Amino acid sequence: MNMMSALVAVDPVLTRTEVAGLVALASRTVPPIWPLESAIAVNPLAGFEHLPFEQAVQLAAKRFGARRSLPLAQWRKLLASGRLDERALRDAAIGKLGGLNSAVALVAPGISRLDLLMSRLLHLPARDEDVAPSALPADANLIAKWCGAFFDQGQAASPMPNRELGLYRAALAALAYDAEFRALTGESGQQLLLSVPRDPLEAIAEGLVALGVPAGDEEHRLAELVARLPGWAGHIRWRNENADPFVAAGSPANMADLLALWLLLERAGAAGPSPASDTAPDAGRLLAAHFRIADASLAGLGKDGHARFASVAAFDEDDLGTVFQAAAEWTYSNALMPRLQAAATNLATAGAPDAQLVFCIDVRSEPFRRALEARGRYETLGYAGFFGLPIALHSHGKERRTQLLPVLLAPQHDVAEAPVPGREKDAAALAAHQARARQASALFDAGKQGTATAFATAEATGPVAGLLMAARTLAPGMARRIGTAFTPSRAEALTPVAAGKGCAAGHAAFTHEEKVGFALALFKLTGLAAETARLVALVGHGGSAVNNPYAAALDCGACGGHSGGTNARILAAILNEPDVRAGLAAKGIAIPQSTWFIAAEHNTTTDEIEVFDRAAIPPSHSGDLARLTQDLAKAGAANRTRRAALLGRSPDDLLVGAVHWGELRPEWGLAGNASFIVGPRSLTREIDLEGRAFLHSYDWQGDGDGSALTTILTAPMVVAQWINCQYLFSTIDNERYGSGDKVTQNVVGGIGVLQGNGGDLRVGLPRQSLFTDDGAPFHVPQRLVAVVHAPFDRVESVVASNDILGRLFGNGWVTLIVIDPQSGRALRWRRDEELDAGLS
Amino acid sequence: MQVQQVSTSTSPARPVAVLLWLALVAAGTWALSRPVVGPATGVPLAIGLLTLFVAAIVATFSLRYMRSDGRSARYFLSLGALVTAVLGFLFTGNLLVLGLAWCASGSLLALMIGHTEGWEESAAAAARAVQAFRIGDAALLAALGILAWHAGSFGISSALAAVSTLHPLLAGAAALLLVAAAAARCALPPFSGWLLSSMTAPTPVSALMHAGLVNAGGFLLIRFAPLLEAAPAARIAAVALGLGGAIYGIGVMMVRPDVKRGLAGSTVSQMGFMIMSCGLGAYAAALWHIIAHGLFKAWLFLGSGSTIGMRTAGTAPTLSVRATGAIAAGTLAVAIAALYFGNRDASLVPLLLGLATATSTLLASLGGKLPARARVTLLLTVAALILFHGAGLALASLAVGPGATPLVPGWVLVSLLVVFLGAWSWQQHRVATGRGLPLPLYVHLINSGTLPAWGKGEAQ
Repeated sequence: MNMMSALVAVDPVLTRTEVAGLVALASRTVPPIWPLESAIAVNPLAGFEHLPFEQAVQLAAKRFGARRSLPLAQWRKLLASGRLDERALRDAAIGKLGGLNSAVALVAPGISRLDLLMSRLLHLPARDEDVAPSALPADANLIAKWCGAFFDQGQAASPMPNRELGLYRAALAALAYDAEFRALTGESGQQLLLSVPRDPLEAIAEGLVALGVPAGDEEHRLAELVARLPGWAGHIRWRNENADPFVAAGSPANMADLLALWLLLERAGAAGPSPASDTAPDAGRLLAAHFRIADASLAGLGKDGHARFASVAAFDEDDLGTVFQAAAEWTYSNALMPRLQAAATNLATAGAPDAQLVFCIDVRSEPFRRALEARGRYETLGYAGFFGLPIALHSHGKERRTQLLPVLLAPQHDVAEAPVPGREKDAAALAAHQARARQASALFDAGKQGTATAFATAEATGPVAGLLMAARTLAPGMARRIGTAFTPSRAEALTPVAAGKGCAAGHAAFTHEEKVGFALALFKLTGLAAETARLVALVGHGGSAVNNPYAAALDCGACGGHSGGTNARILAAILNEPDVRAGLAAKGIAIPQSTWFIAAEHNTTTDEIEVFDRAAIPPSHSGDLARLTQDLAKAGAANRTRRAALLGRSPDDLLVGAVHWGELRPEWGLAGNASFIVGPRSLTREIDLEGRAFLHSYDWQGDGDGSALTTILTAPMVVAQWINCQYLFSTIDNERYGSGDKVTQNVVGGIGVLQGNGGDLRVGLPRQSLFTDDGAPFHVPQRLVAVVHAPFDRVESVVASNDILGRLFGNGWVTLIVIDPQSGRALRWRRDEELDAGLS
Repeated sequence: MQVQQVSTSTSPARPVAVLLWLALVAAGTWALSRPVVGPATGVPLAIGLLTLFVAAIVATFSLRYMRSDGRSARYFLSLGALVTAVLGFLFTGNLLVLGLAWCASGSLLALMIGHTEGWEESAAAAARAVQAFRIGDAALLAALGILAWHAGSFGISSALAAVSTLHPLLAGAAALLLVAAAAARCALPPFSGWLLSSMTAPTPVSALMHAGLVNAGGFLLIRFAPLLEAAPAARIAAVALGLGGAIYGIGVMMVRPDVKRGLAGSTVSQMGFMIMSCGLGAYAAALWHIIAHGLFKAWLFLGSGSTIGMRTAGTAPTLSVRATGAIAAGTLAVAIAALYFGNRDASLVPLLLGLATATSTLLASLGGKLPARARVTLLLTVAALILFHGAGLALASLAVGPGATPLVPGWVLVSLLVVFLGAWSWQQHRVATGRGLPLPLYVHLINSGTLPAWGKGEAQ
């Protein structure tokens, strides 16, 4: 039977329901991909987390056509720059060879297996470090083109016709006129277009039969197809599973649509993926030459020697890279753990602080906190940056709401922006300004797209464009100041209020119980003592970047890829309410009368801190605030200087870069992230964690039932793991798991970016976020270490009762290390495979 | 953690940027000190200032933007060479130099389109640009050859002076070749592919193209206006090609979901309009368009990273279909009246389209829900833009000197207007009713500029 012919009569074997089930399973190959507007870090291998890490990486590499490790040449650069310990590398190599005994086994007189492996790791020629972007095959390009057209959110003035029919049917209609489709599939494609079922599930059922996919192999086949355009497939998942309904209104699409298109192309005989050619140097020959083992004597190595030689020669470069990755992880833990253990047995109790500041757990908070603590008697804490508020914000003058919470949760409350009392005029002026700007931009868009008006519009706006270009290029700071001089500050004129009024989604405003609950969570989860300082600041954070598609990736991940000031303001206001304080006192948290909560936002790009709602702060606290503000500014300057060195720029240039439209790397974001530490600040206070640690405050003594620890490990830690995996995989293969070079990116549909002229929607992080200007990795790809300061048995029971934790720790996605508060002893959570090995 | 090394000492980046700013200041001073007019001096000076300005901005922008580029030295040196080549063909009085500098500028541009090392797509895009430019270069060299041979000299002025004695057939051939060269560089159909697939270029290169490169076709036609005026057929060809490009480019822009190729479609359209103006003899309008659009498009390209964010599909229509129709009809009425009273000015089409734009924009800014003060500011802004436009046009007329003799009878001008205004009304109608373009047209437009290597079996 000619299975590729379009003319064979096919009777589907699977029912629609069965196909739907298969599609759902296959779609797990890719994670949901958030649009860059609210960029959320996701693990590109989230669909493989049920597998041990190494196995998952291997399988995903095959599915996505990706590397399994950073290229050897890059690892060597990291080693040479001292960011990897050579001893740790040796240890990792010994581990790779199955332990010391088998590592020192001799291959030839004076040459051990370890010698062979070390020379392969360090000296033998490696493949080129830069793998050039590869072109998509024609069939993938064709589907990507129609996905781009279909999923567009208002970029094209004339959207793709028939979108209301769904992706599959709209594309079928378009393919009938598509010369590229005709060129790719010829006559059989045209006939198939007429005959294939219009229902995607039926089309898949028929396609699977027509292609002769054996029973039981269907899911695998579909998963492979999902993996061929991971960007658009991930976008489909986001749209259906995570987006607000308005996104997909009028243009429904699900994974079955995409798969039906793929099967159509396959049936029509479009070209499949071209096999990637591997041009790795012949390791065996190089090794033999390096150790001066003549070919003849290679045969004379003896049976054992020969087998030992072959076992080392058989590693491919990705295998070698994983040895380096283990070394990187050990280098980090070896340096961190002794210091943490030393601190654990000797927790210093500081005196009453002048002020307490609660920062986000984000790795960028840590160096700032250290700089601030150095300036005075400040206690700092780490808490998820959405401050426990599951809210969505309706911005003044914006049509759609913004979700300000981790994507693990769904918004429970809608919050609106309202004028600050006494600033109604400013708020009105701001609204007028926004309306004018919107109208002007609509006029401009209409003008430049009209067949009669495009030309004069270009001519009339050209001179202004010239002035703006010059201003934004030469004096971006001044340009911004002039631009904002005539409009009131948004933060000063407007404040978020949890009023039900005007909220379309109809979520209730907070009840008294909810408010007390939010307030209580802060104390419970962070171990913040009831005896608070006079000022307690809740500090959200956000980045600042202009003309940068990845701007949201610099914002707070816990706030859904937005800055966290809004959440901080709401919780601070709640905590200042007398009713709430009374409610807290009833629950055993009696906050001193003299305490005032303020909200602030840490700008991670400039290290400036904006304090909100200053006017509402009682005069009795103005002196405290003035001192704090001063110290925040000084701490910011110190941290800016530290960060400038890492960026290879001057501290002042960071301020310029934050507003410059040509700046592609305003800050390093979360690059370098390596650990997640759960414990009191006194555990880490004396250790310079180099901005590589997520810090969640936790007091095991106040958490008898382990519920706070459960929350911390199942929510913030999982978010940290997503971030860690996003950085890790984007670094090891920036073409497949990352989004490539920013200079050739092309924004598509308001959603994300393409490279060059088209292709798949790009996932992950761009090259500039991970690599230095000279091309060496800035981010060292390594898995997250979670360190928990709590009694062993408590951690054990928390992990045991949460499957997700068992998966992450047991499969080696995250290394869990528990430090016992009493003894200071540290134990590592054993991976499932180690346990299995131990049992057998 | 390691500190990143900063090495600026050996990089050509900063010197190139500084040199460009110095050259811009020098050229500006020169232009102000002794105002010069005419196609031989005023036009090159105006376009030269645009080139230096955009290139200086692009170079300064790139100091940041291209900082992590592995081939940044090559990038900045090509940029400097490119500007030199453009200035070379703008200011030279020698046909040979003009031809060589023109060819060099094309090759350098193709080189920058293929900037990324080892990327198949960028190599294919560069190859396609080379292909288009070769045809254009050959046409230009042939045209210049005819002129030089006839005049017996490589001097442009003597060659132009000798045009009047050139055999009409030869003049027609040379002028048509010149139009072909201009169309290739301006990416008018059938040459649009190179521009529409050039998004492999780093963003600032796409912006730089609008500094005397993609719009150099217009310079060519203005500089060799006497030749064109001796060959009405070539002028008609320019009008036809330009009109086609203007409408086609708008279509491409309307369907592209990606920002950069949408902008490229817009450039095709704008270049079409500009070449059409040249063909009609509206040189001042064309020159002003070259300059203003160059700034406009460079600005949009450099800012193309700001377009993340979902918009409501078909943002509230700014003007009703009926108002559009009324403005279109009114504009036509003005055209007919002007012609009746004997005004057959070559720039009638650009001027009246400008009028339609001004009217529709002013009218639309009266609509919508806006506080009174915001509305007044908006109106004033629009009025100011209209004034800028007028002033720019006046300056351009000064630089160009007297316009050409009108080429075509009045009814052709009216027909051109009918095409633009009719397409506009239809377009507004389709968009306002949410229907967009008809499917076959939509598919054709969205496939425009696909690299041939992407199709099955087509070897590059």
